[in-house]
Amino acid sequence: MNENFSRISRLIKSKIDDTIDKISIMSAPYSYSYIFKYIIIGDMGVGKSCLLHQFTEKKFMASCPHTIGVEFGTRIIEVDKQKIKLQIWDTAGQERFRAVTRSYYRGAAGCLMVYDITRRSTYNHLSSWLTDTKNLTNPSTVIFLIGNKSDLESTREVTYEEAKKFADENGLMFAETSAMTGQNVEEAFLETARKIYQSVQDGRLDLNSAESGVQQKQPQRQGRTSLTDDTQTNKDNCSC
Amino acid sequence: MFGAFGKQETPKEMEEILNDTITPQELEKFEKVYMKELKDKKCVTAKTQFEYAWCLVRSKYGADINNGVKIFEGLCKDDPDNKRDHIYYLAIAYTRMKDYTTAQKYVQAFLEIEPNNMQVMLLDEHIEKELNKEFKKDAAIAGGALLVLGGLLGVGFALAKKYHDKKKPDEEVRKNEPAN
Repeated sequence: MNENFSRISRLIKSKIDDTIDKISIMSAPYSYSYIFKYIIIGDMGVGKSCLLHQFTEKKFMASCPHTIGVEFGTRIIEVDKQKIKLQIWDTAGQERFRAVTRSYYRGAAGCLMVYDITRRSTYNHLSSWLTDTKNLTNPSTVIFLIGNKSDLESTREVTYEEAKKFADENGLMFAETSAMTGQNVEEAFLETARKIYQSVQDGRLDLNSAESGVQQKQPQRQGRTSLTDDTQTNKDNCSC
Repeated sequence: MFGAFGKQETPKEMEEILNDTITPQELEKFEKVYMKELKDKKCVTAKTQFEYAWCLVRSKYGADINNGVKIFEGLCKDDPDNKRDHIYYLAIAYTRMKDYTTAQKYVQAFLEIEPNNMQVMLLDEHIEKELNKEFKKDAAIAGGALLVLGGLLGVGFALAKKYHDKKKPDEEVRKNEPAN
């Protein structure tokens, strides 16, 4: 009786595994090992949605209305031959949204903090954005400071050196970008991912915690890839 | 029509937004502020109403979403300056409750004010897709019913024909054959 039961359950398990295999073959080009959660924050009109759009679609949106609440975008990138899916939450910059958008900070692995190099006020507000980020994310969250609209050199109000100094003092990564020309946009998103991935490799990020903003797609079956950690495999063995 | 977004990607992006739910703790935080203002001043500021309603719309419970809808409907009248935001969240709320017909009305109202808004166009596309799915489901059920009916009629005709043919002399049957 018991033997029959285990035989049936083994049969069912193998059928399920076959199906999973078929599905994973079908979706192979879209498969990835990790998911990183990003947020994009900063004052209204600094170009957050345009940066996201430039990164996910490689296009510049010339007329971009104010974001309502949040927008979302994804792209799969590669770091150290690992496919990583970036899930990016782009928050509205208008003050009236700020209280609620704070609930999106939780569990972000990367935070892109954006100001506009042609509007000094957006730079002056950075300390308030930084306080929010430090309070609402975890210590390992990678913060990348972005000075956007670098194509508008003639109307610049914040120098590169000044912002670089601010970034260094606060331990932030930094680059000036242009969502219009695409300059440095790719780099900002990818550098952030590299830094997060480094934290994962060093064991500084707890993958089991929802707070870390990193999910590892872990194959459930034994011996499928080297990514499966040993304890998981052993557990699988015991249950059969 | 769908601007620069890839057609294949769009529904997934929208689904993420629609599936995103607020934690009960977060919701409670905004509820407390709302209730406190209601108790102390008998009237709640538009900002507090908006924040609470937005959180309600992100709840996983239908009753909360419904309450959010009521607040947003009130805000459309009381806070007309930010009407576009309220209409957007009404559309989101009805979409989350799977009332796609009402959701579509709000989307259309929004697009009349701002015809090229990407966020709303994505939502519109999502609603359109869901309505199509519903239509196909209904059509499939109706089609299935017709098939069954057709099948029954066919069997009926065949039986009747068989009965009828049996009565006819053999020659007449042969004459009919080429026509079949």
